Amino acid sequence: MAKNERSNKIQKCGQPVPRRRLKDSVHRHRPGRCSLFITAVLLMFSFAQAASAASFTASLDRDTITLGEQATLSLAVEGGQAKNVPTPDVNGLQISQTGTSQNVSFINGAMSSTVTVTFSVTPRQAGEFTIPALTADVNGQQFSTQPLKLTVTKASAPTAAAVNSGSEVAFLKFTFPKEKIYVGESAVGRLELYLRDDVQNFGDFQLTGSPTDGFSSGKTTELQNQQRRVQVGNRVYTVISLAVPLTAIATGELTLGPFTASAVVVLPVRDQGSPLFFFNQGEQKQVMLASDPVTVESIPLPMENQPANFTGAVGDFTMTATAGPTNVTVGDPITVRVQIAGQGALDAVALPAQDAWRDFKTYPPTTKLETSDQFGFQGTKSFEQIVSPLNSDMRELPALSFTFFNPDDGQYHTLTQPAVPLVVKAAGTSPLPALAESKNPTPENQVPQDILPIKENLGALVMKSPPLVTQPVFLAAQAVPVLAFVAAFVWRKRADNLASNPRLRRRRAVAELVNIGLKDLKQFAAEDQPDEFFATLFRLLQEQLGEWLDCPASAITENVIDEHSVLRGAPKTTLDGLRELFQLCNQARYAPVRGASELNSVAAQFEKTVGELQEVKA
Amino acid sequence: MKNLFAILFALVFSGNIFAADGVTDFLAANRFYAEGKFSEAAAAYETMLQTGAQSSALLFNYANAEFKCGHLGRAIAAYQQSAQLSPRDSEIRANLAFVRNQVQGATVRESRWQNWLGTLTLNEGALLTAVLFWLTFALLIARQLRPALVPKLISATWIFIALTIFSGTVLGLQAASHFSSATAVVIEDNVTARSGPFDDAQNAFTSRDGAELSVLDQRDGWVQVADGTGKNGWLPAKLVEILPGA
Repeated sequence: MAKNERSNKIQKCGQPVPRRRLKDSVHRHRPGRCSLFITAVLLMFSFAQAASAASFTASLDRDTITLGEQATLSLAVEGGQAKNVPTPDVNGLQISQTGTSQNVSFINGAMSSTVTVTFSVTPRQAGEFTIPALTADVNGQQFSTQPLKLTVTKASAPTAAAVNSGSEVAFLKFTFPKEKIYVGESAVGRLELYLRDDVQNFGDFQLTGSPTDGFSSGKTTELQNQQRRVQVGNRVYTVISLAVPLTAIATGELTLGPFTASAVVVLPVRDQGSPLFFFNQGEQKQVMLASDPVTVESIPLPMENQPANFTGAVGDFTMTATAGPTNVTVGDPITVRVQIAGQGALDAVALPAQDAWRDFKTYPPTTKLETSDQFGFQGTKSFEQIVSPLNSDMRELPALSFTFFNPDDGQYHTLTQPAVPLVVKAAGTSPLPALAESKNPTPENQVPQDILPIKENLGALVMKSPPLVTQPVFLAAQAVPVLAFVAAFVWRKRADNLASNPRLRRRRAVAELVNIGLKDLKQFAAEDQPDEFFATLFRLLQEQLGEWLDCPASAITENVIDEHSVLRGAPKTTLDGLRELFQLCNQARYAPVRGASELNSVAAQFEKTVGELQEVKA
Repeated sequence: MKNLFAILFALVFSGNIFAADGVTDFLAANRFYAEGKFSEAAAAYETMLQTGAQSSALLFNYANAEFKCGHLGRAIAAYQQSAQLSPRDSEIRANLAFVRNQVQGATVRESRWQNWLGTLTLNEGALLTAVLFWLTFALLIARQLRPALVPKLISATWIFIALTIFSGTVLGLQAASHFSSATAVVIEDNVTARSGPFDDAQNAFTSRDGAELSVLDQRDGWVQVADGTGKNGWLPAKLVEILPGA
């Protein structure tokens, strides 16, 4: 069942929430603190909850709101759990989920649990909207809500009668000091917030709309020390003033406003039965405010008697200028500093082109704006321009003029600074200053008060491509030096380790020697050279066993096989093989020359025995 | 190592193309400009830019032509893009300053540190950092391969490590500025920013042609902007040109 509940209770965030029955209820927000008590109660009565009848309802806290306000849509699932709570989609309304809360109530001893999902509803335009029926699956059953109507009205200023009767808690009033304004002229509008005398406090003031079409507006600021109290009709109001700096930029009938705003005011509690009355906290209320629009006629600047060097400055200004150095060589820079001070749209003040400076090379001026009021309408705009004489005939920097339009008297005024005497010497061989050494000096000189001319050279055309820092190949390439460093580091560690371990070094040297020796043995066998064969075999046996037993190779004889304790752990076949090899070496010194096949079998036996020895060592 | 440099070189200059047609079109557009046919010149430059190819000079000339047509915003946007390709070109800076001086109303300008960061392009910063990074690791590798050189390389190694860290930090700031602080240049006059991204939303403020605004968000053809005086609003994306940070 749908119900539209009206509420004037404001949470801390300023959003209205539906009234709830506080009696016999426990209220828990999901993002908030965990309550053990609530958990216990929920567990105790879970059976009762499951047994109760389920429902799915939708409600709006208000059925009518003003454009700029927000309404709260609540979807409540009672007596069960919803699989999915849909988010409504309505054209012209922006609906966003803001939170979920659970409410457990005990009424007449019966417990009921309600899960409420809340949404903020922000209208994008005025009109009548319908939030359609929503369907949710609660405990396996489909439940639908009733459609809800929401009326969105445009904010409008209260009538004079309503204001005079004192029924308005607050209202806005906008005043503009001029009915007619010249285009380019600046003025400060005043937006006044009237608060009735019984308003205890106000906050969350937000200017939601400030239409100033045809005007360029500055920052809206509160006017300090301008708060006052005035009698309006039957009531006294406190007035807070805001300044709206405006500069007309278009001509014709221009409309300022309606300015709209929202604020939260605190009013005394009238209902003596309310808990708020007991604590004397006041009742919060969100108010939407709107001012009456103000029409201003913006008139164009007169074309009659408009000086040629007028650049659009509107206001009342004074000018000072200095130039130096005055004793220069042709091409030397002379800095001209111009200060234009006064009141008006200083942003629009520009130094006009000085036709009389045609014999000087000029560069675009730099500007600096220093304002002395909070609206930016009063202050000084400083220009610094570099000029350099093009020939030594120059005797003075011609007079500098600046024209502005004063809206107070409706006339153009031209300010002129007198010519500055110069002493210009011929350039001789001295080079031009760096600033003057342009790539395209000629056109630049022809149009001194304009942009620099176009470039004649196309340069290298580049296809648009993403920056290097986003290209995976570039980023991957940066891993190359890191990997190379890691490899070098590992290599260095291994080299250092080898250098500090002579046994390891010897083991590697012997392993290499045995590898080479085996090839030599096979070669000697093939060439039938038994003397060299057995000499090599004996030396290899000495080296291999010497390395294993950590003693000099020359000290190794057949006797070590029986004497050395390390070799006792080796298999008998290996030890027998070693003995046989030693004996073959000894016999070869006396026995007749053997054939190549026998030598090959001896070499194979040596290879096998060395392999067995390495297995034993491992 | 040679291959590595070849890859780096290809990475940096992969976008370069040299087309005779481009030069011909460019000179034709320059002739329009010289004859005072600024709108034709702007159209010719724009046609070249639409091919995806760009150069600092092409963007500069396009900006000049747009300025002569009275389009301050388009000119500023093109000067900015030109400056991003050639950040140390004094002519671009001079013209940009000149055109900006013509713009009325609130506008957002680069901070001093952004100007400082902008003296190098992001690619130049990346390449400089990469070179320093590689040289630093080359020194570290040399220390591993030739321990006898370690005493001689101590100072150089620390100097390069410091330079790499500094350059990397600057690159990080550049990248952060480039990717996070976009600017919207208004290209129509008297554009009204609205309080929400839809046509019926209330007016927030008005901007003039050429105003530069900070981009806060983009959504469905709308751009949320701030004008530097504390006012925010939404503008249709078609009314602004969005430029990445310096």
